[in-house]
Amino acid sequence: MDAYLVAVGIILGIYMLMTLGLNLHFGFTGMINFGQVGFFAIGAYTSALLALAGAPMAVAFAGAVLAAALAALPLGLMALRLRIEYLAIATLGFSEIVRVVIVSEEWLTKGVQGLGGIPRLFASLGVGGNAELAYLGLIALANLAAVLIIRRIVASPFGRLIQAVRDDEEALRALGKDPAGYKVRVFMLGAAFAGLAGAFYAHYLTYITPEQFVPLVTFYVWMAMIMGGAGRIPGAVAGTLILVLFLEGSRFLRDFVPGVSEVEMASLRLAAVGLALILFTLYRPQGLFGGYSK
Amino acid sequence: MTLVYYVNLAMNGLLQGLVIALVALAINLVFAVGRFPNAATGDYITVGGYAGIGLQALGVGSPVLQGLGAMLASMAVAIAGYLLVFRRLFGRSMVAALIASIGIAFFVRSVLSFFVGHDPYVFKIPITRAIVVGGVRLIPTDLWLGAAALVCLSIALALLFFTPLGRQMRAVADNPELARASGIRARRVMLTLWVLVGAVCGVAGIVLGIRTVVAPEMGWDVLLPGFAAAILGGVGSPAGAVLAGVVLGIAQEISTPFVGFTYKIALSFVVLMVVLVVRPQGLFGTLERVR
Repeated sequence: MDAYLVAVGIILGIYMLMTLGLNLHFGFTGMINFGQVGFFAIGAYTSALLALAGAPMAVAFAGAVLAAALAALPLGLMALRLRIEYLAIATLGFSEIVRVVIVSEEWLTKGVQGLGGIPRLFASLGVGGNAELAYLGLIALANLAAVLIIRRIVASPFGRLIQAVRDDEEALRALGKDPAGYKVRVFMLGAAFAGLAGAFYAHYLTYITPEQFVPLVTFYVWMAMIMGGAGRIPGAVAGTLILVLFLEGSRFLRDFVPGVSEVEMASLRLAAVGLALILFTLYRPQGLFGGYSK
Repeated sequence: MTLVYYVNLAMNGLLQGLVIALVALAINLVFAVGRFPNAATGDYITVGGYAGIGLQALGVGSPVLQGLGAMLASMAVAIAGYLLVFRRLFGRSMVAALIASIGIAFFVRSVLSFFVGHDPYVFKIPITRAIVVGGVRLIPTDLWLGAAALVCLSIALALLFFTPLGRQMRAVADNPELARASGIRARRVMLTLWVLVGAVCGVAGIVLGIRTVVAPEMGWDVLLPGFAAAILGGVGSPAGAVLAGVVLGIAQEISTPFVGFTYKIALSFVVLMVVLVVRPQGLFGTLERVR
């Protein structure tokens, strides 16, 4: 049971990093990123490939963060010119293309077969037990660091600027501020969080396939952010908690409700995500806890 | 020989392009009149495909009747989506409608996959011998499907440009406040919009279903090419979206020998990116002022 809780904690930490990143994009800056899973995938594959090639773990993780941030650069630059709905479509397309590339470039990624045997972190502590606990600790630290970074950014003049970008970009321009550079940097930072989450994911599961990086993952993260309330750090944390409880709970539900196949359960999960997105948009746009526009 | 090969690819692409044109038209109409990108478009199409399969299972063999059933089913879902969700989001931000449309997309797909599973279904259409004209293979089924898509596109465009309702719809798209001030009833226009969108999606579903297979992801898979064509054609220009869809379909097929089967899907994304950077208003759209 303890081992199970640790496993859930690790998954929670991975999703929370992605939600914090998305929150930076949408919640604080108003940029619609429908491609968070693309940065997640880039992080996972970069870190896995580097580690498999014999690079030290620190290098693999740093590579994941860097690759995700760099992949976000052209999209961030596009975000400057595009109306937000176009950015939404462009990022959604981006994440689908990342998956197509992973499927196609078999020489590098082994395509649909997936990458196996990805080295674990803390391998010297053995498998399970203490190694998992140490991993959980590291993910918790990463989340703490992410929260501190976001808080620092939000409280800084830079943070007031990005929130002003969200609330009224025209007024900001009128004041002589140029939001361009800020938007790009925020976009890259949020993507970097997803890249880091991807690295944690790859070295935890030790086996990744393109099937794990479908758009549904992006919208799991959106669901977490919207439920918690976009634009608030505690909201992102609470929303992710609800999301993981829901994802894990739906696995248990199957043990209690006989006659529901795994495929049907997947449909029910999809239905729940869809309904959550619809109902929260209709009745509780500020999320369970927060206010979007203060 | 090579020329014939490319002509054959182009013919294939033309049919695929007509399907993309239907998707793009459905997206474009909502984009222009409802003012949000409707991510549920693909799943309205899937509903149409399954409705056709359902009729086939009930013993209705005529593709025309199956097509009508598909249109009715897609219309019903589109109108339900409007009445239950989008109507209530009127006056809210575009982001709200966009996220809700994603929610509808997932919900519709989950209901379908829950009840009918993930196994693909096929339409039992008798296999016809291709007519070969100078090396160019014309498959009668494909010709019928292409004709059906063309008729649907023509009727939709004719409705938009030659009827009072179409004119009202374009007026709302152009300037909602002015349209309202001149006595156009917004609610009726919106209902007409969703009926039209549903009908177009239904036809797309049946054509796509007969051409390939009917599966829960079929609509989602044509959503991205549809968005690319809608933006390439220009938001607010339905005819441009149709033309762009056809061009994109042909370009996708002709690119296959060069980039391979998997990367042809990426082509629509590349087109999307280039258009967004170079000419965000599309080929035929007018630059909309940012409000």
